Amino acid sequence: MSTAPVVEDLVKAEYEHGFVTEIDADTLPPGLDEEVIAAISARKGEPDFMLEWRLKAFRHWQGMTTPQWAAVDYPPIDFQAISYFSAPRKKEGPKSLDEVDPALLETYNKLGIPIEEQKALAGIAVDAVFDSVSVATTFREKLAEAGVIFCSISEAVRDHPDLVRPYLGSVVPYTDNFYAALNAAVFSDGTFVYIPRGVRCPMELSTYFRINARNTGQFERTLIVAEEGSYVSYLEGCTAPMRDENQLHAAVVELIAMDDAQIKYSTVQNWYPGDERGRGGIYNFVTKRGDCRGARSKISWTQVETGSAITWKYPSCLLRGEDSVGEFYSVAVTKGRQQADTGTKMIHMGRNTRSTIVSKGISAGHGQQTYRGLVRIAGRAEGARNHTQCDSLLIGDRCAAHTFPYIEVKNPTAQMEHEATTSKISEDQLFYCRARGLSEEDAVSMIVNGFCKEVFRELPMEFAVEAQKLLAISLEGAVG
Amino acid sequence: MNAQPLGQFEDWLPGGGAIDLPGADLDWLATARQRALASARALGVPTARHEAWRYTSLKGLIEQAFTPYGAAAPGARPDDLEAHLIAGLDSHRVVLVDGRFAPGLSDLGDLPAGLRIAGLGQLLSQDPDALQGRLTGVAGTGAHLFAALNTVAMRDGLVVLVEPGVRLARPIELIHLAVGTERPGVAQPRTLIALGEGAEATLVERFVGTDEARCCTNLVGEVALGRAATLGHYRVQTEGAQTFHISALHIALESQSRYRGLNVGLGAAWARTDLVARFAGEGAECDLSGLYLAGDRQLIDFHLDVDHAVPGCASRERFKGVLHGKGRAVFDGRVLVARDAQQSDAEMVNNNLLLSANAEIDTKPQLEIYADDVKCSHGTTVGQIEPETLFYLRARGIPAIEARRMLCLAFAEEILADLRPLGPLHGHVAELVGARLERVAFD
Repeated sequence: MSTAPVVEDLVKAEYEHGFVTEIDADTLPPGLDEEVIAAISARKGEPDFMLEWRLKAFRHWQGMTTPQWAAVDYPPIDFQAISYFSAPRKKEGPKSLDEVDPALLETYNKLGIPIEEQKALAGIAVDAVFDSVSVATTFREKLAEAGVIFCSISEAVRDHPDLVRPYLGSVVPYTDNFYAALNAAVFSDGTFVYIPRGVRCPMELSTYFRINARNTGQFERTLIVAEEGSYVSYLEGCTAPMRDENQLHAAVVELIAMDDAQIKYSTVQNWYPGDERGRGGIYNFVTKRGDCRGARSKISWTQVETGSAITWKYPSCLLRGEDSVGEFYSVAVTKGRQQADTGTKMIHMGRNTRSTIVSKGISAGHGQQTYRGLVRIAGRAEGARNHTQCDSLLIGDRCAAHTFPYIEVKNPTAQMEHEATTSKISEDQLFYCRARGLSEEDAVSMIVNGFCKEVFRELPMEFAVEAQKLLAISLEGAVG
Repeated sequence: MNAQPLGQFEDWLPGGGAIDLPGADLDWLATARQRALASARALGVPTARHEAWRYTSLKGLIEQAFTPYGAAAPGARPDDLEAHLIAGLDSHRVVLVDGRFAPGLSDLGDLPAGLRIAGLGQLLSQDPDALQGRLTGVAGTGAHLFAALNTVAMRDGLVVLVEPGVRLARPIELIHLAVGTERPGVAQPRTLIALGEGAEATLVERFVGTDEARCCTNLVGEVALGRAATLGHYRVQTEGAQTFHISALHIALESQSRYRGLNVGLGAAWARTDLVARFAGEGAECDLSGLYLAGDRQLIDFHLDVDHAVPGCASRERFKGVLHGKGRAVFDGRVLVARDAQQSDAEMVNNNLLLSANAEIDTKPQLEIYADDVKCSHGTTVGQIEPETLFYLRARGIPAIEARRMLCLAFAEEILADLRPLGPLHGHVAELVGARLERVAFD
């Protein structure tokens, strides 16, 4: 394949993302009250309806308590110690490598795919989010030709309020959960995508999120609207520099697919997971939900989760439209002291709706991993169909893997199957590979990649390559 | 923890300092009761916000305002029992009427050496030493509020003690007969089955009653299996249409022991069963299977909790359900493999047939695993009778309704086949299942 050498180069290339870019951030002091929210809204020059909505969300949030049901363990978060707004004033300043953990750099060295290179590689438009405000948006003209709107959500709120207003919060209302309410109140930026009727988005859309300024929680908000008969593939990837303190990331992603529309949303997440003893690392508390509003619409979530200290994430599909389809493909890796509680919800409401769930969990070291999923087939959902497969692979005797599926069926024409297995890499498989001259690490990597194949093949090609490398690196030293 | 009011269930506690309870003078029992009371107060009345009661509402149960029967037990005549006996089932028969041991209705002649069967109340007053360290030894303060309430308020039930090495030739049959009184009453019987090392026994436990009786059963059962002991436990619940049924069965398995439990849930308006098994020694096996048929606004709820606390044990859970009419069923199975419980083998299957538009199934098979060298899986399905299979039968001249019935029976038989060694019991249950399917409107 022609891209193979390029990928090789990229993999060997110097890491370019793993340091704190000292951007002079326009940062609000820590703390959260109505004034802070008003300040955020004012700085972003938002219309009044946004401020009202944020304040409603904030007032609702004040009456809520942090969710306790997930199988994750972390010290309580002081929401008043977080700074809720930070906007970069200028582009990259001098780089200081001193602040970076060399071990982390080494890892990133094998991985780093620079934004520029990537654009060249696959014609991906990159909307780089430095902390909270989008600072670079590319390929915009090409997209504009097709009528696609791809911009930061702040811009969208200002420039296309009529497009944003009816959809914002319509899939994930601010009352949905604690972190969704917080996000609605304080979200600083994010991405807005609008694909007009009948348009097939000419390129894969991609946003690179980065977390930069110290003590700044990230509250991204993504809204993707695919009109009738349109198609879009959206890639989300993350890298994060070394951190001493835990950083909270509470994003909300809303997808809306009208009749015959398709949205493919792919994520590779490799934020800083904390050190061997579990210090530092990102708290990733994300609410992602897609609404298959139209008939024959389709929303597909694919995620490769290898980073973060704690992941709390359930990309879901509301299957409202007749014959609509929801998909969830996930690979999650937990090692060291990482904890992940992730899964999906498939809510079947329309007739002949179908959903597929494939979840592959790999737990190594002291990693704690939970698949938590819900398949609900409502009384009206005639002919609904679900297939769920969740497998866990355990590496080492101190890790844990749990499966908590919820299945609620109220329609006699529904067909649903759920399968789950938990096992370790078999000695036979390892022996077979080793007998053919592979090192134990390579053998494990190969077996694990095979285990995840069903998910990787759903990723766009560039992402699939990155994901496989990421997996191999993530599991380095996990064996033996 | 804060003491919570128990609302209507305050009435389930014994009043007046509990002086009239059997064994009130035993320190160890008093301590266990105090602990259970503290646990009940700490737990409070479960709501849909409690994970274990998410799909099982207590509204109906609370509305019934059941009160305990008190010291004076309602009696039963032999006629009441007659209708529920299974012809040809040769057993050591014990009958509990509304939770009270009824020696007059029981048939305990020719007990072999090494087998002791007694009423709990009777044993507590005559030979409490036989119970010390055993009663509440397996269940502790219980799986939930109702199990704790049972521990606080238990006054009678059944104790079966099998000496080491004794193999019983005949099954023991325990019949829970619900008769009820004018006032809706709750019986809180307690059973303790303890098998010594290498002992083998079969226990048939049946819950029966009439559709007229408005009553509630709140049972806690404890099963303690010694090293290499084997118990076959066949439980058939066919209580009346107005009955509320709560039972929590706690099983402790020493090394090399084997427990085979079959649970059939057909009766009661609302039934909640908790099966809690804990491996205490390596190389033990636990097999839990079940069949539930829910229709006519029934709710049948099975909660399983299997704890692989030690390495090298195997558990298998197979539950099948048929939902029809406005029937609802809940299946919640949890397998826990503790840290270092290597070589654990666990397999859980739950299959459901949904036959009508108003039926509902909520199923939740869970695995919680903290060791790596394990083989664990679970599978769940919800579906209907396959059109192809139906077509096959119809093409052979079998009317559609009949064909559906046959297929449902075959579905059920995969579980019921385990009853075949107990010939008449298998016939009895298969007949009940068949009769139920006769009433199902296949449309």
